[in-house]
Amino acid sequence: MSEHPLEPIEADDAPAATATIGLWHIFGAFFWLGCTSFGGGSAAWLYREMVLKRRWIEDRTFLAAMALGQVMPGANGVKLTVLIGQHLRSGVGAAAALFGLLSGPFAIILMVGAVYAGVGQRPLLHAMLDGIAAVVVGLTFATGLGSVWRGSPGMLPVAMTAVTVLCVGILRWPLVPVVLVLAPVSIGLAFALPRR
Amino acid sequence: MREGDGNILLALFAVFAPLSLLSFGGSNAVLADIAQQSVAVHGWVSEREFADFFALSRAAPGPGSMLVALIGWKVAGLAGALVATASLYLPGAILVYGASRVWGRWRGSAWHSAVERGMAPIAAGLFLSGGIAVLRLAPAGPAVWAAALVTTVALLRWPKLHPLPLLALGAALFALIAAL
Repeated sequence: MSEHPLEPIEADDAPAATATIGLWHIFGAFFWLGCTSFGGGSAAWLYREMVLKRRWIEDRTFLAAMALGQVMPGANGVKLTVLIGQHLRSGVGAAAALFGLLSGPFAIILMVGAVYAGVGQRPLLHAMLDGIAAVVVGLTFATGLGSVWRGSPGMLPVAMTAVTVLCVGILRWPLVPVVLVLAPVSIGLAFALPRR
Repeated sequence: MREGDGNILLALFAVFAPLSLLSFGGSNAVLADIAQQSVAVHGWVSEREFADFFALSRAAPGPGSMLVALIGWKVAGLAGALVATASLYLPGAILVYGASRVWGRWRGSAWHSAVERGMAPIAAGLFLSGGIAVLRLAPAGPAVWAAALVTTVALLRWPKLHPLPLLALGAALFALIAAL
C-alpha cells in the first residue's frame, strides 16, 4: 500500500492531529478498545472512543458510514474499524486497526474457553451477563440520543430518527430494506435544506 | 496436527468466508448462520456447546461473532481458531476497505455532504433500535430495563464517565440480586 503523507487525510475536514498518528498508536488504540468493549454494541464503544474522545473521525462521517454500512456485509464494529483505519492511514491504517481490534478478543476468548472447559456454567455468570447487557444498552441509547442532540439542528433529522426507531426498533422490520427506503428520502431532504 | 486437520481447515474456510460476505445486518444475522452451519450442517459442535460458546462470547470483550474462534479451536486447535477467525472477518473487511476508498474520493462534493447529513439521523435511529432489540431478548425483564435507563441518563448527564466502572457495577449488582 502506498503511504503518501497527504493522500489519506483531508486537511479541511479531518482534525490536523490525524496527520501524525503512527501505526502503533492506531494498533494500540484499537487493541485497547477490543479488550474493553464488553457486551457487544461495538459501534457505540467505537463512537465514544474514536469520535468523542480521540476525534480521529468526524461525528457525521462516522454516523453516515454506520448507516451506509448496513447495506454491506459484516459486523458493524469491524466495518467501522476498517473505515476509521483507512481514513487515518489508508491501507496500512486499516490493517493496523483491524488486527488491533481482533487480536485481543481472540486471545481472551480462547483463554475464557479454556477456563470455562474446567469450571462449567453458573447461574451467577448469567446474572452478571444480564447486568453487563443492561449497561451496554444504556451506552447504546446514550450514543443514539447524544448524536441526535449534537448533530441535528432541526425537527426533520429528529423525525427521521424517530421513523427509523419505529420501523426497526418497534415494528421490527428487516433492517436492510428499511435503510434502503429511508436513505434516499433523508439524503434528498438534506440536499434541499440549506447547509449549516 | 492430527490427520485430516488440513481438510478441516479448508472446511472452516469454505463455511466462514462466504458468511463473511453474506452477513448483512450485523452480528445477529451472522450468528444465526454460524449456528446453522457448525451445529446442523457440519456437526463441529453440539447445540449445548454452541449455546455455551455464545454466552462466553458475550461475557468476553470484542465482537460477539468471535465465538467462531472457539468453534475452530474445538475442531482443529490453534490453527483452526486462526483460520475460522480470519475467514469470518477478512473478506468482509477487504470489501469495506475498497468501498470506503471509493467513497473517500468524492469527499468535498455537495452530494457527499448531503449523504452524510442525511444518513446521520438514520444511524442514530439504528443505535436506539439496537438497544431496544437487546432489551427484548433480555430474560431478566424490568430489572434490565431499569438499569439500562439509569445508565442512559447517567451517560447523557456525564458524557466523560467511562462505561467500564458502570459495567463492573452492573455485573456486581445483578450478581448480588441473583445471590439473595
